[in-house]
Amino acid sequence: MLRRLLFGVALAAGLSAPASAETVTILMEGVPDTEYVKTLVPEFTKETGIEVNLEVVNYAEMHTKLVPQLVAGKGSYSALVVDFYWVGEFTKAGWLLPLDERIATDKFDTSVYVPKMMDLVGKVDGVTYMLPFYNYAMGLLYRKDLLADAKNQADFKAKYGMDLGVPKTWDEYLKQVVFFTKDGMHGVVNQGLRPDPIAMEWSNYLFANGGEYHDANWKATLNTEAGVKAVEQYATNIAKYGPLGAASFSFDEAFNVMAQGKAYSYITYNFFRAGIDDPSKSSVVGNVEIMAVPGPTPEQGGSLNGAWGWAIPKSSPNPDAAWTFLKWVESHEIAKKRALQGGSPTRTDVFDDPEVNAKYPYSQALKQMLLTSHNFPVFTYTPQLVEVLGRELSLAVAGEKSPADALATVETEMTELATKDGKIK
Amino acid sequence: MKRFAKAVIPHIILTVFSLAILMPLIWLLRVSLTDRLTAYKIPPEVGTLGLMNYYEIFERYAFVSWFLNSLLIALLATAISLPLATAMAYAFARFNTGGSLLRLGVLASQMLPPIIIVLPLFGVFLFAGMLQSHAALVVAHITIALPFLTWLLVSFFEGDVTRLEEAARVDGATRWQAFRLIAVPVAAPGILAAGLLGFILSWNEFLFALVLSGPSSQTLPVGLASLETHAGVEIAPLAAATVVSLLPVFALLPFLRKHLIKGLSLGALK
Repeated sequence: MLRRLLFGVALAAGLSAPASAETVTILMEGVPDTEYVKTLVPEFTKETGIEVNLEVVNYAEMHTKLVPQLVAGKGSYSALVVDFYWVGEFTKAGWLLPLDERIATDKFDTSVYVPKMMDLVGKVDGVTYMLPFYNYAMGLLYRKDLLADAKNQADFKAKYGMDLGVPKTWDEYLKQVVFFTKDGMHGVVNQGLRPDPIAMEWSNYLFANGGEYHDANWKATLNTEAGVKAVEQYATNIAKYGPLGAASFSFDEAFNVMAQGKAYSYITYNFFRAGIDDPSKSSVVGNVEIMAVPGPTPEQGGSLNGAWGWAIPKSSPNPDAAWTFLKWVESHEIAKKRALQGGSPTRTDVFDDPEVNAKYPYSQALKQMLLTSHNFPVFTYTPQLVEVLGRELSLAVAGEKSPADALATVETEMTELATKDGKIK
Repeated sequence: MKRFAKAVIPHIILTVFSLAILMPLIWLLRVSLTDRLTAYKIPPEVGTLGLMNYYEIFERYAFVSWFLNSLLIALLATAISLPLATAMAYAFARFNTGGSLLRLGVLASQMLPPIIIVLPLFGVFLFAGMLQSHAALVVAHITIALPFLTWLLVSFFEGDVTRLEEAARVDGATRWQAFRLIAVPVAAPGILAAGLLGFILSWNEFLFALVLSGPSSQTLPVGLASLETHAGVEIAPLAAATVVSLLPVFALLPFLRKHLIKGLSLGALK
C-alpha cells in the first residue's frame, strides 16, 4: 500500500525516473576520459539500440553516493567505474559481479591489457571483476628546454662531472633538482598536502629508492634504508628546492607552479602531460616532457601506478546490457578512438598503434611508465592506509617526527590493517 | 579630534568587514572572466577578460538542466512546505498541539547529522521506485525545510496577534476566518521570509541531492561539485557557473531585504 501510495505521488508529479531495460546508466567521475566516452556513446546506441546515460559526480563524493546503491538489492546503476582505492573494499563486500564467464563466452581478450593494470583494476584473487578503463600512473614532468640549454649543460658538467640530459637514475635526477634551484627557479614542485597527494607522490620516492610497501607475505617493508632515504629526500625537496607552501599543495597548486614555468620538474599524474601543452592552462607549452620516474638503476622505474576499472555491480538492474556496453567501450576500436582524443590507454595494442603514436609521440614513454610501474597495496583498507601514510609523512616533512619513527608508525598500523583484512594470518 | 575618530573608526571597521564579505565575490567574478592560467597567478594579474567560461558552462556541461532542476525542486519544495509549516506553526502557537514534546520532535530530525537521515530516505525511495526522480528530491527537501520553517513561524503567531484574533472572534468570525483573514495577513512578512529561507535551503542543499539524484535530476550544487575532478579543479568554468547560480538568490534580495527585516522586527512593532 505504502509502495503504491509513494509511487502514485511520483507519478502524480509526472517526474518519476525512467527505468527502461534498454538504458544503461553508469556512474562516472569527471575526468577527460569520461568526456571522450561521452562523445562516442551515440555510436553504441546506433549499433545496439541501447541508450546510455552517464552520470558524472565529484570524485570526493562518489563513494558516499555509491555505497547505498551497492548495498541495495537492486540499485540504479547498470555499471560503474571503480578507483583502485575501492577495489579491495568492493570485492570483499561482494558488491561486484565476476566477469569471467562473460569474458569466456564472448572470447573477450584480456591479455591485451598491461599486466600491471589487470593486477590493479582487473583481477582480485584470480577472479576478474573489472576491465581496466584508464590509467593515471605517475610520471616525471621535466623542462626539456632547460636540459637543452648550452649554458646549463656546461655549468652542470663543471659542477658534477657528468652530462646534463634526461635523467637515467634517481640519483641523477636529484642532482638536477639541486642544480636547477637558482635564479628564482625551483628544482622541483611537490604536492605535499595530506593525505592523498603526499601519500601518492611519496610512493614514487619509495620505489625510486628501490623500496616497496610490503613483501610477498604482506610484511611491511617501509622502515628500511630505502624508505628512510625516500622520506629524507622528500622533506629536503620540499624545504630546500621547492616553492614556499609546497607542503600544503594539492596537485592543482603544484601543477600551476609548473605551468607558470617556475619549476624544473614535478612528479605527477600522466594526464597532466596533455594539460601542460594547453595554452589556457600553461605558459610553458612545448617545453615540458614526461618520462617514467627514474629508479635506482636505468633498467628499473619508480612510477606509482593508478587506474580506474569498469565493473558491473551485483545490484545492476540490467547486467547483460551493461556487459554489452563494457565489451564495446573496451574494444580495440573504441579504446583507440578514446586514445586518439587524448585518453589514457590501458591496452598495449593501443599504446603500440601507429596512429596513436603519430598523434602523441610520448605514448611510448607512457607505456614504459606503466610497464615499470609499481602498485600501491590493494586491500580492503587501502583508503585507511593512505590516511595513515599521509599523516605520518606530513609529520616527518614538518620535522615533528624522524623519518624512521614516522615509518615505524605506518608499519605498525599497516600491519594491523592487513591482519584485520586477513592478508596476514 | 575625538569627533573625527568617532566618525572614522566605525567606517574603517565596517569597511574591513564589508571587504571580508565582498572580496570572495569579487574574486569569483574575476576568475569567471579569465582563464585557468591567469586565475592562479600570484601576484594576481588581470589578464585578458572574456566571457568564454560562460559559453563553456552552457556548451560543455549540462548547466541548463542543473539550473532548471534546482529551480523546479526548490520551488516545489517551498510551495508544499510553506502552507504546511504555517498551519503547523499556528497549531503550536494557538493550541499548543502535542506540547513541547511535539515541538521538539519536529526539530529532532534536524539535530541528527544529515547522513543519518539520507540513508533511510534512500531506502524508502528505493522501495517506492522513486529513486533518482525529481519527486524524491522534493520530498527530501521538504523534510529539511518543514521543521525549520515551522519553528521560524511559531513566533509570528504568538503575542499580540492573539488579541486581534480574539477581537475578530467576538465580532463573529469563525476560527478559520480568524486564521485566514487576521493571523495570516499579520504574519505575512514572516511567512514570506520563511518561504525565501526554504527556497535557499533547497537551492543550496548538497548531500540529499547527491545521494538521491540521478542523471536527469542532478541539481546545481551536485553538478558544480563535479567540476572538481580527479584531475584538478576546473576553476574558471566553476567560477562562471557559481556566478550564474547566485543570480536567483540575488534576484530575491530586494524582497528578502524588505520582508525579512520587516518580518524579523514584527514582534517589536506591535
